Amino acid sequence: MYKLFLIALVLFTSGCSEHLVRVMPYEKEYFAQDKMSLAPVGARSEQEGHIFLIREASAGGESSFQGGCGCR
Amino acid sequence: MSLKYLLITLASLLALEVTSLASSLKNSMSFGVDTYNDNADVQVYSPTFSVFNKLSHNWMIGFKMRIDAITAASIKNGSNAGHVDAVTGASSNENFYDDIRYAPTLMATYEDGDNLLSFGAYYSSEIDYEGKALFVNYVRQLNEQNTALGIGISQSDDVWKPVFDRALPKDYRREGKLDLSINQLISPTLSLQVVYSYLKSEGFLSSPYHYVLQNDIAKFENYPDSRVGHAFALKGVSLLNIKNSMNFSYRYYTDDWDISSHTVNIEELHDFSKNFTTGLRLRYYTQTASNFVKEIGTYNATDNYFATDYRMSAFDSFTIGMPFMYKMRGGDKLNASIDFYQTTSNDYIKSWYGVDKINAIFTTFTYEFEY
Repeated sequence: MYKLFLIALVLFTSGCSEHLVRVMPYEKEYFAQDKMSLAPVGARSEQEGHIFLIREASAGGESSFQGGCGCR
Repeated sequence: MSLKYLLITLASLLALEVTSLASSLKNSMSFGVDTYNDNADVQVYSPTFSVFNKLSHNWMIGFKMRIDAITAASIKNGSNAGHVDAVTGASSNENFYDDIRYAPTLMATYEDGDNLLSFGAYYSSEIDYEGKALFVNYVRQLNEQNTALGIGISQSDDVWKPVFDRALPKDYRREGKLDLSINQLISPTLSLQVVYSYLKSEGFLSSPYHYVLQNDIAKFENYPDSRVGHAFALKGVSLLNIKNSMNFSYRYYTDDWDISSHTVNIEELHDFSKNFTTGLRLRYYTQTASNFVKEIGTYNATDNYFATDYRMSAFDSFTIGMPFMYKMRGGDKLNASIDFYQTTSNDYIKSWYGVDKINAIFTTFTYEFEY
């Protein structure tokens, strides 16, 4: 996985990355809509991130910070 | 003529530069309340507040406050909800809540259109636990903002303060986390994100209250004092048609306690009007057991590790819920959600909480506006 990530990083930051310009600025209107967000309800994402940390033994994958508490 | 083209070209370049330095930072404020209730006798009511204020074109500071008002068997009688009725029946609770957790977060953000840097500090105070953490996140936009590379680092330094007179082998818990993420726009209607998280915990990692009770053994839980985990996630959002979108994610988690899990989440959102959006979300989670948990009643006094917490055993969970998003006049937002969470039947849950499975309902409600 580390290698895959490094390869992807090199591709993204090299000349090959021009192929990754797939959406022009004037085509991005849909991504401005709330329903096109990866976390459409921010408060729920924070709340459930905390709950799943307490109720389950897995973590990570959120790309955001979750503070600790004694419930865990 | 050539001078005219030159001027137009220069003006275009200038406009491009100004655009690239554009910032989307806005002054905003939000008020909300979250709730959590389950059949293991835990109720949490959490007022939330946040304010973000621009200091300049590119800088903003933010403050978030969460207060958890908690009633829980774990606080009343040392976690064993199976005994809670007898305890609460025998004693009156002088305070309406068993514990109140205060969790402020202070942060700063820099954004110039291509770079987003945020960093801050978190603090959490409970009767028996004090949490402190620092975090920093950086996101770099590339490929005309089609690609975003992100890196986030956080480190906590928490301290246990058990309400019972118990000397812990270690009274701290430290957790470090590294997140690497890549976002890529695939088409005008599809965006994907890949996330890798490295997690390392050390210190006292079990509950100070859970204990193993057998005929010949009475031992507090004892876990290994370090844990390293890895999480890999793939997320995406797709516009199905002008009124419907689909949000989906998959996460694989594994650690050196031999716990591994799969999580699948899918959510469909529908615009019922220009201002109101709702939908349905489904989540499925399954995990394996840790390599040190044993069947109930089978521990030996010579065992190194003792676990009775169901989270160290294999189980599944399901979540079904609905989000609600309403845009008011002037751009203010009312967001809410309600979710029902249920685990599968589990001997450890039955032994500790006195119920076959955990059933929980959690809700959020937030009013957000710009000023």
